Amino acid sequence: MKKVLISLLAASALVTLAACGDDKGSGSGSGDSNEKVTLKFQSLAFQKTTVAATKKIVADWNAANPNTQVEYVQGSWDSVHDQLVTQFQGGTAPDVIQDESADITGFANQGYLADLSPYLSQETKDAVSKGVWDTVSSDGKVFAAPTLLQSYVVFGNTKLLKQAGISTTGDSLSWDDLQANAKKLTAGGKYGLGWGLKSPTATVLNLGMNFDGTFFEGTGRDAKAKIGDPELEVPKRIHAMAYTDKSIDPTSLTQSGSDVLPGFFGGKYAMIVGGNYAAQQIVEQGPKGFEWEVLPPLKGTSEKQAANPQTLSVPAEGKHVKQAAQFIDYFMKADNLAAVGQGDWLIPTTQAARDAIAKATGGKNGWTQTLASGAELTKAPFQSVENYPKWKDQIATPALQEFLANKIDLATLGKKLSDGWGQVNG
Amino acid sequence: MSRQRLGTAPATRAAQYVAVVCYLIFLGFPLLWLISTSLKSPQEFASIDPSFLPKHPDFSNFTDALEEQGLVRSMLNSLQVSVASTVLVLIVSLPVAYALARFRSRLRPITNGWILVSQVFPVILIVIPLFMILRPLHLTNTIPGVVIVYTVWSMPFALWMLQGYVAAVPRELEEAASVDGASRVRTIVSIVMPLLRPGLIATAMFTFISAWNEFFFALVLLQDPQLKTLPLVLARFVGAEGQVQFGPLAAASVLATVPSLVFFAFLQRRLTSGLLSGAVKG
Repeated sequence: MKKVLISLLAASALVTLAACGDDKGSGSGSGDSNEKVTLKFQSLAFQKTTVAATKKIVADWNAANPNTQVEYVQGSWDSVHDQLVTQFQGGTAPDVIQDESADITGFANQGYLADLSPYLSQETKDAVSKGVWDTVSSDGKVFAAPTLLQSYVVFGNTKLLKQAGISTTGDSLSWDDLQANAKKLTAGGKYGLGWGLKSPTATVLNLGMNFDGTFFEGTGRDAKAKIGDPELEVPKRIHAMAYTDKSIDPTSLTQSGSDVLPGFFGGKYAMIVGGNYAAQQIVEQGPKGFEWEVLPPLKGTSEKQAANPQTLSVPAEGKHVKQAAQFIDYFMKADNLAAVGQGDWLIPTTQAARDAIAKATGGKNGWTQTLASGAELTKAPFQSVENYPKWKDQIATPALQEFLANKIDLATLGKKLSDGWGQVNG
Repeated sequence: MSRQRLGTAPATRAAQYVAVVCYLIFLGFPLLWLISTSLKSPQEFASIDPSFLPKHPDFSNFTDALEEQGLVRSMLNSLQVSVASTVLVLIVSLPVAYALARFRSRLRPITNGWILVSQVFPVILIVIPLFMILRPLHLTNTIPGVVIVYTVWSMPFALWMLQGYVAAVPRELEEAASVDGASRVRTIVSIVMPLLRPGLIATAMFTFISAWNEFFFALVLLQDPQLKTLPLVLARFVGAEGQVQFGPLAAASVLATVPSLVFFAFLQRRLTSGLLSGAVKG
């Protein structure tokens, strides 16, 4: 029996040792441009239109580049982070990765992503604003190419707005006007505003930039929480509308962004606030004859919002970094970005692509205001903070939920947000 | 107090039927709602006043689900990994469970302890080492790799389940077989195995459904679109920021339940109990 046991232990030790062997040595840096290679491109395209547009981009590239073939691999947004964690550690990440910038910042800091700056064309570099490049750069290196952006916009039921005599023209919509309009539209068991804030942190931090709310000072692990009046302005206003004016349906605050759509369609809410991509659901799911519009961008002291673009990046240990970056550069061409942006109802990061969408859509279905809302998107301080995801999940989201449920006051919210940073970053 | 009297009292009987009907509705309603949603248009399921039955039923969600995402291929992949891992788990765990249940040794409490401990590891903790082991063996991005992982993952609980079933088989039956001159192998094959059938079927069901529904290992291990399993394909109907394609997702989910329902219907008839009643007279 002992002999059997010893043999089994020895065998398992050998297997373990063999398994721990590293076969990463096959990577060849940027690769030879004449080499015939096949790149795996994991696309997270979700809408039917975007999947088709992305596949067309891949097909066009493959036709023009016989030596660098791209294989389309369909991924999903669900669990992409966990998938990439494992694949980076195991050295099997796809050659071209799609993800949002906030998610890949951690990977970039850990050295998993290649610097694309030597490979991207000057045309691409010039086409994207500096504020957006900042979201995918650190230490002078560019670890991803930003492709599509989303902003938070106000959607309005045209008929109800007209009935209340509310004008929706102008370059921007102040928060005071939003509150006044919502109050005017609240009557007879119907609310001026429905706001799906089940996961409130991203919305509060992004729109917080309207009031110069930064939430953090510094970067990385040295960042300090900064919670003052500017940072608390957005939650304070939402709370006031829900519990003082009663112009926001408080139950909507516990729902997701798409949960409030039936209420919007049914006239229960005259306006809703959400990601601009919700326009597609409104078009697809809205009842026949439902008239809606996108209101001008919200403005506090500015119209700024945080930019968290979708990105394309390349693993640092990829065997064909150069070719992968060249494909990304091709993906960034105006027509390509316009096609995927229009399919996903998201805002392309380049002006040329935005112009192409404006031309193709004629600005209908809220595209004029949606594209305008993308102009002020820029990097937010929280995007450079290493433990931000932890703070968001463990501290900010539950604290904001309590506040929006009217269980704690503003001062307590501020204290929780501030003290909580010490707990998760300690 | 007669059991008979309780059982035949009309009020009690009526209450029992009501309870059973309520329970069936409770269990069946989500499935009915799923089927109903799969037949609705986007406008219908985004209505503020949703109806239970679709007003204008159509099958476009099913055609979308089948055409867009390679649902059939993924179902076949899932079927392959689920059946293979179920068979492997049964083959490996049956003799081990028998040994653990029947033979007293110092290894037994250690093994049982390890079985329990292995159940508390979160998947995310073991997936990276597992990945590092499978990669040099060229088992990542392969169906056999996933089958091995599912087998290893389901084995502890299967062992735990089977041990209990083996222990429930009276030793006296084996002793009687031995007295009649049967070898141990013959005893196991001819006496123990038939009596273990309900246990084996229950274990098979557990293993099959674990593999059929498993998402995370498959997500990490499988990259080739041709190899993706059903849960991975279902996840594609969920987009960023909580966007969901409800219609096609509901249709795909309805289709996804069919193979497991067939599997259960097939096995359930064999899941009989009471085989051991009266086997040994005290």
